[in-house]
Amino acid sequence: MKHPGARRWFLVAVVASLGLGWAQDRLDPYFVDILTRIGINVILAVSLNLINGHAGQFSLGHAGFMGVGAYTAAALTLFAGPKILPAGAGFWLQSAWFLVALLGAGLMAALAGLLVGAPSLRLKGDYLAIVTLGFGQIIAVIFRNIEWLGGALGLNGIPARTNLFWAFSAAALTIYVVTALVNSTYGRGFLATHDDEVAAESMGMNTTRYKIVAFVVGSFFAGIAGALSGHFTLTINPKGFDFNRSIEIVVMVIVGGMGRTVGVIIAAALLTLLPEGLRMLSGMSPSLKWVGESRPLLYAILLIALMLLRPQGLFTWKRKKAATA
Amino acid sequence: MSAILEFDQVTIRFGGLTAVSAVSMAVGSTELAGLIGPNGAGKTTVFNLTTGVYQPTEGKISFCGKDSDGLRPFELTRSGIARTFQNIRLFKSLSVLDNVRTAMQVHRTEGIWNALWRGGRFLKAEAQVEKQALELLSLFRLEALRDEVATSLSYGDQRRLEIVRALATQPKLLLLDEPAAGMNPTEKIELARLIREIRDRFQIAVLLVEHDMQLVMDLCERIHVLDHGNKIAEGTPAEIRRNPKVIEAYLGEEHALPG
Repeated sequence: MKHPGARRWFLVAVVASLGLGWAQDRLDPYFVDILTRIGINVILAVSLNLINGHAGQFSLGHAGFMGVGAYTAAALTLFAGPKILPAGAGFWLQSAWFLVALLGAGLMAALAGLLVGAPSLRLKGDYLAIVTLGFGQIIAVIFRNIEWLGGALGLNGIPARTNLFWAFSAAALTIYVVTALVNSTYGRGFLATHDDEVAAESMGMNTTRYKIVAFVVGSFFAGIAGALSGHFTLTINPKGFDFNRSIEIVVMVIVGGMGRTVGVIIAAALLTLLPEGLRMLSGMSPSLKWVGESRPLLYAILLIALMLLRPQGLFTWKRKKAATA
Repeated sequence: MSAILEFDQVTIRFGGLTAVSAVSMAVGSTELAGLIGPNGAGKTTVFNLTTGVYQPTEGKISFCGKDSDGLRPFELTRSGIARTFQNIRLFKSLSVLDNVRTAMQVHRTEGIWNALWRGGRFLKAEAQVEKQALELLSLFRLEALRDEVATSLSYGDQRRLEIVRALATQPKLLLLDEPAAGMNPTEKIELARLIREIRDRFQIAVLLVEHDMQLVMDLCERIHVLDHGNKIAEGTPAEIRRNPKVIEAYLGEEHALPG
């Protein structure tokens, strides 16, 4: 990415998503549905890639941070909104409040990231993975036990605020932030920390700080993705942010290639489309019906094959050049 | 000549093992100093103590007249200590240029917000970093390899790149851990010339651990000898080669000067 062009690309992407949001009602609802989910998954995968790929800290708790964001935003629009906004608030006021909810979701998730990350990032590899895994479980248990957040049933009747504009401009922001960070003298410290912590420390980098920053920034965007997801499906429950969801995001990062933003974006899109494709296939003839139910099996086979044949990820090019795309 | 690095009765124990025992030494501010001794004598431990990887159990280490007790490696690097490693530790996935650029952030103040905003001042600073990194690389004739992944370089080039990366932090003291390991005789001669040139050009102190006695004797102005964690001798190359204790513990008869 060329440095001066980065901001321009970001603005182009925001304007484009504004156009998409405006045209949304004229598009096929199924198509809009898939596009929105792609946008949300891109946010999740690219932000996890900052933690897992660029900074090399293996986290299995991304869905937990997503959950923190989803519940925060839902509480803001569902409970706080009606009290604060004047009755019969119009579209612009509602949208502004949704923006507040998105930011609040990001900040709460970032705070959770800080609380989990600060003490546990001294751990490495497997140990960190287990701590983040535990965090994901704890978050789910907490939500299940908070009554005013709906307990195990979760929250229903969340207002439909997510549209293509929000999903895609948030995705563009995530991509911009991660890419801009990594392509700077400051941000190369993430990659250095990933490659060799001892050497990075000896070259004057505060590796602990880098790991925490990666964790906090990644969690911030996971929170936003959670908020978007909640205001898209209109219902959230603790199960939606469990270990399985975390693994889904990890798979996107691995398939795309750790530390390769472009690859991860493509993988996020393709893996969102994959179940749709399978469903379509199984609907085509009764003899193909089993395909629709075989998604978990296919995922597992895909992962095993990938690890054996292409451990660096499907969408990685330019191995010879440095890994800062 | 004033001392830039001072060890005052420094001891470190790992459980029951005393790796370095009551070592005192000083390195002058533009000195080429050597640290020699048999394997396991504690040379790399001295490096790790100097750079803050280990904290001494007893004694005091000071750098530039300041006590370096309790400082972490990155803090000591910021105050002017840089090192290379016995087993090369380059940033594997980064290009040659990025390895150097990454090290240059030590003295930069642009942080996360500047990186995100990408204003004019930030872009100018980034261009400046790139220019300085390329200048350093060209000093070592590595600029043509700027976009190669660091680990694809030849062994000798990787060792030299590690020195460039250390210099990019603008150190006052450069620690080289076996810089000539695995080099052929021609490369070693070139390396000796290079180390001397670094000292002369940047006016910094160099402390090196090395097993190639030819190189150490030719290059170093002052040599410290360790054996089993104890300092057994210190002096000019000629003095060291005459010292019976050093001859017995390490040098053997080959490099000895008749006393």
